[in-house]
Amino acid sequence: MKYNIPQILILIYVVALTLSCKPQKTDHKDSGKPVIAFLDAFVDETIAQAKTGFYKALADQGYQESDSSITILYRNAQGDIPTLTQACDYFISEKVDLIATNATLSTITAVQKTNTIPVCMMVSPSPKNANLLDAQGNAPKNLFGVYETLAYIDTSVTLINYFFSNAKHLGVIYNQAEPQSVSALEHIQAACKPLNLKVSVVSVSNSSETQLAIQSLISRGIDCFFAMPDNSIFASFEVIAAACKVKKIPVFTSEAGLVKRGALCAYGADMYAWGYQAGEQAVQYLKSDRKTIPAPMLVNKRIRVFNKKVAEYFKIEASLAKFIML
Amino acid sequence: MEFYTVALLLGLAFVPLALGIFLSAKVFNIPDITTDGSFTLGAACFAVFILIPMHPILTTLLVLPVGALAGAATGLIHTKLKVNALLSGILVMTALYSVNLLIMERSNIPLIGAANIFDQVNNPAFLLKNMFIVVLIVLMVTGLIIWLLKTDFGLTMRAAGSNENMIEAQGVNPDKIKVIGLAISNSLVALSGCLVTQLQGFADINMGIGIVIAGLASVMMGEAISNRFKKSSIVMPVLMVVFAAILFRLFIAFILAQGIEQVYVKLFTAALVLVFLSVSKLNFIKK
Repeated sequence: MKYNIPQILILIYVVALTLSCKPQKTDHKDSGKPVIAFLDAFVDETIAQAKTGFYKALADQGYQESDSSITILYRNAQGDIPTLTQACDYFISEKVDLIATNATLSTITAVQKTNTIPVCMMVSPSPKNANLLDAQGNAPKNLFGVYETLAYIDTSVTLINYFFSNAKHLGVIYNQAEPQSVSALEHIQAACKPLNLKVSVVSVSNSSETQLAIQSLISRGIDCFFAMPDNSIFASFEVIAAACKVKKIPVFTSEAGLVKRGALCAYGADMYAWGYQAGEQAVQYLKSDRKTIPAPMLVNKRIRVFNKKVAEYFKIEASLAKFIML
Repeated sequence: MEFYTVALLLGLAFVPLALGIFLSAKVFNIPDITTDGSFTLGAACFAVFILIPMHPILTTLLVLPVGALAGAATGLIHTKLKVNALLSGILVMTALYSVNLLIMERSNIPLIGAANIFDQVNNPAFLLKNMFIVVLIVLMVTGLIIWLLKTDFGLTMRAAGSNENMIEAQGVNPDKIKVIGLAISNSLVALSGCLVTQLQGFADINMGIGIVIAGLASVMMGEAISNRFKKSSIVMPVLMVVFAAILFRLFIAFILAQGIEQVYVKLFTAALVLVFLSVSKLNFIKK
């Protein structure tokens, strides 16, 4: 029988190459240092600031990977839900001491998969808004960290009314697949009602639909636009900013990063500080006897930012001394 | 009106994508899923090159061989490693996600202020200069594909999709034809990715996901219309695919403009396409 030598050799080579790529498996359990997991749902620069803040808080308290005082297992689901679930399963099988979850989807997944391993959340809504309460109205016992309510939306809508008192029509684009956006939208509609602000909504399922969506809103005659803290909006914000600028429509938002990219003003939580606050919570837990899990806490640092160039474009005076100018 | 102009522009930008999928799905009979990956690959390469900075026309042309590489990879996996065509497309598409992330180094690259081919028309009075350039590109690409399919090589490609055994009997290597065909198809898809990036001003790692569905929808719609004309020339199917690609985007824009409740938008889009297809099948002349 004639064997195909080249193909056999290639197969052996490829298998050998793959096997040699396996990383060294260190048994981190017996060294006594904590092993924590960080579960990220998307690859996004804005949300990544929370991760930076979290790691910095750990480092400031003496936990750093570089001096082997802690092991951090990091996984990013890159927007894929099955991958998110599998990453979570991996962490649970590794019996980590803590799972830090960045963004709502990670938090919900982690809490549904485990009720023993503590979950430290950040960039997530309150357990009530994330529909994580049980029948008695209690949040999961292993959930702690830092959350944000939707109160910032009331302030943002008030800001719109303050600067553009004759605005009648507010435009919003959101992604129906993101749970925090749906509840934020309801909140906006409720906040706009007493001010007689009409709200027009277009939903998108990914960032490439944004161009048509914003044109649709503009053709309906919006006076102002509110950018939701939504992954699809973050990715395609340049399209929104450019289209709104041409039509002289101011863009309000809750995210400081978007103000740098062309929004007029933002009032909301600072992502880096959010992650840092969550990191402090995590360190507090790790340094304690690890028997009691603290309660989730509200984010404590919110910032008001304004884009100077855009403010000049809209001819708004500098009576905004109390705002941070970007 | 401006809203529909934007929709028309987007539809035109998706024409190379529809033509690429037409080549692989209808001419070669290979269901090629690589499209999701090569669309983003075209966008990512354009974004990275244009920021070097490089001349926009050169960058747009450079995207073509990059897309061809992706298509050739699928072709080689299918022909040399004897993997099922659909699976090889899926494998390359999955691998391209990582490749694209490596090229872009971040998930999203904003391009506001960067040069693009629309700046090449120096006449500021040209209100629809975007339209002019995109129409020019679409005409060139369509003309090129129709010419290609009528050459000897094009006929060989069409024969390879129709009856592989026959061209093998004629002394042609079907593997080589498949690889070249997939390369051409994916380079067109990458061109489409590059055009869409220039129109929307950013490149995002997730922009290609699901794009093969829109392309296949355009191809199928085009086929449904062209089947009414009993001509055997290849010109009519190609033109109908182009028409269907633009029409699909206009349908989506039309539904968005109606202002119906958000939950129903996708349902109505599907229903509109279905109505269009059913009407196109009706026989208005009684036999």
